[in-house]
Amino acid sequence: MSAETENPAVVDAQASAATRARNELARLVSYLVFGGIAVFCAWRASSLPASRWEPLGAGSFPKLVFIVLAVLCLFAVLRSLVEIQRNGGMPEAVYAFGRWLRIRRVSFAIYGLLVVYLAVLPVLGFSLATFGFLLVTQLLIAGVTRKTVIQSIIAALVFSFGLNALFADVFNVFLPRGVLIAF
Amino acid sequence: MLDAFLQGAHQVFAFDTLIYMLIGSVAGIVAAAIPGFTVTMAIILTLPLTFAMEPLQGISVMLSVYVGGYTGGLISAALLGIPGTPSSVATTFDAFPMARKGEPGRALSLGVWASFFGTLISTVVLIVAAPPLAVVAVRLGPWEYFSLIVFALTIVASLVGNSLIRGLIAGVIGLGIATIGPDPMMGRPRLTFDMDLLAPGLPFLVVLIGIFAISQLLGEVEIHGKKVNHALIPKSIDFKTWEVMREVLMRPVNLLRSSMVGVVIGALPGAGGSIANLLAYDQAKRSSKTPEAFGQGTADGVVASEAGNSATAGGGLIPLISLGIPGSAVDAILMASLMVHGVSVGPRLILDHADLVYGMFIALTVASFMMLVVCVASMRLFLRVTDIPKQFIVPTVMICCVIGAFALNNRVSDLYLLGAIGLVGYILKCLDYPLAPLVLGVILGPIAETNLRRALMSDGDWTVFLTRPISALLLAAAVLSVVFSIRSIWKSRKNENGKNSAPA
Repeated sequence: MSAETENPAVVDAQASAATRARNELARLVSYLVFGGIAVFCAWRASSLPASRWEPLGAGSFPKLVFIVLAVLCLFAVLRSLVEIQRNGGMPEAVYAFGRWLRIRRVSFAIYGLLVVYLAVLPVLGFSLATFGFLLVTQLLIAGVTRKTVIQSIIAALVFSFGLNALFADVFNVFLPRGVLIAF
Repeated sequence: MLDAFLQGAHQVFAFDTLIYMLIGSVAGIVAAAIPGFTVTMAIILTLPLTFAMEPLQGISVMLSVYVGGYTGGLISAALLGIPGTPSSVATTFDAFPMARKGEPGRALSLGVWASFFGTLISTVVLIVAAPPLAVVAVRLGPWEYFSLIVFALTIVASLVGNSLIRGLIAGVIGLGIATIGPDPMMGRPRLTFDMDLLAPGLPFLVVLIGIFAISQLLGEVEIHGKKVNHALIPKSIDFKTWEVMREVLMRPVNLLRSSMVGVVIGALPGAGGSIANLLAYDQAKRSSKTPEAFGQGTADGVVASEAGNSATAGGGLIPLISLGIPGSAVDAILMASLMVHGVSVGPRLILDHADLVYGMFIALTVASFMMLVVCVASMRLFLRVTDIPKQFIVPTVMICCVIGAFALNNRVSDLYLLGAIGLVGYILKCLDYPLAPLVLGVILGPIAETNLRRALMSDGDWTVFLTRPISALLLAAAVLSVVFSIRSIWKSRKNENGKNSAPA
């Protein structure tokens, strides 16, 4: 992690009770989600038919794994509830959650762009879609000035059309072509 | 014997062979530095180019790609915190923090020298002990393999970071991810929820890129009150290659132990660099007098991981040369290459084609020297990466990840999985879940399940795991490993509590 990146463990050790409660609340949600998924997957795995050829069928191993995961999550939920209570309870934690999101706003914006990029990739093709993604992402990180716009356009051209040509011509690896435009 | 050795040496030291090997070495290093491009893929791309060559020339070129590839993964691991290949996962634990502390040159040099010595040690073991080691490796049945994987899973205890419970949850999530898709024995679809996207399962590399690379890149652009667009490693670069060589050689026990772990894991069919680097790291941490320094940028961690993964190169050739059984996917491609050239691979290989086998030993040694020269010569170029602002590096590496994930199977659906896994990885990272146990679970899950089911198919009695001596020994080692880990965690917590409660 970078020097500026928040290390939750360090933060936990130094931060206020509200911060600790906020981190713990987020973890509690994750334990509940993973626990729920584990129970569902264990149930689905147990519905797989047994094998005629072997004592363990296709479902035994996943069932075992997801039951262990569910038990671990249950244990983690109980510990988390105790921790939240010790650090001021839910209201403090909910209040601090907004700050958690604010710190990560650029990260989530870039992730959103990545999702859009992957969705349009088969339609626009690698070069065009990559050009758009690189241009917007670079400007999002660096800010919009004349210098950054020129730099970003050059870098986006090189790493979209250039990389496509490199992989196709040198490595014989053909990146996705567009349905609308064959780049 | 001497004649065969000289014949092999004559072919390897031919000028054109050396030039091709140099190109192969560079190609292997560059390919492995790109997240998603593995040594296997680089070798597959090289294979058709060697068809027109003499058998030994072709295999020498592929060996240089192989050796270069095992080292190349360390470049992105050290400079970006993103393992270039699965075999450099453990390298990120210490090389990246070391680079972040302002010593990227030292981190890279340590990795390069450890890789070099690891490959050399494995070559010596290959020459001296190939036949007996291969016989032992092949005698292991599914019971021993399962016990070995159980032992390897105890590594999770070393990688849990700040919270044992979150580390265990991450490891079990990894095992769960590995169960999605066709079951490894019968091919029956499991937990796919009738989605085409999940039908082929979650490719390990896509999980690796999503969990480590996408989460790391998203983490880089978080805003904590400062400008976001500076270089990843803004400090000045030190570059003292020879001093670092001495630093590596001052750790003979770690170097030898990690290399031997790499040789043994490499010699086991099915295992490989992805397990060897984690296991070597774990052993180094357990036997260290300062285990708390691991993960903070200690030289021992970098040496262990890189010597461990590079030593699998020689280790993987042991069963291939002695018995004609490939130790990994890369060795299978090497074997295919020999067969294309009309060389039948099997126990008679060393008798019928002694010049070729000795030539392979020489080529492996030459390739490791070439890798060293190429890496040392180009290190300043690689270190320039650290000067590039995040504006360029984050989106560009993200695109490289997308290309790597796509090129694996030429499937756009893998990219959607990459996006989803990347988000999960980022959220897990934000919540302080250790990511290494998750990847370990994904690597080891299918091997554990396959061997467990295979063992019970041939004998439904569970006690066989305890009555077969090697299996029992490995299970005992696993139990001891867990006991020592819990004791170590308990002791370090006690020490911390003692420090916190001590009067100022």
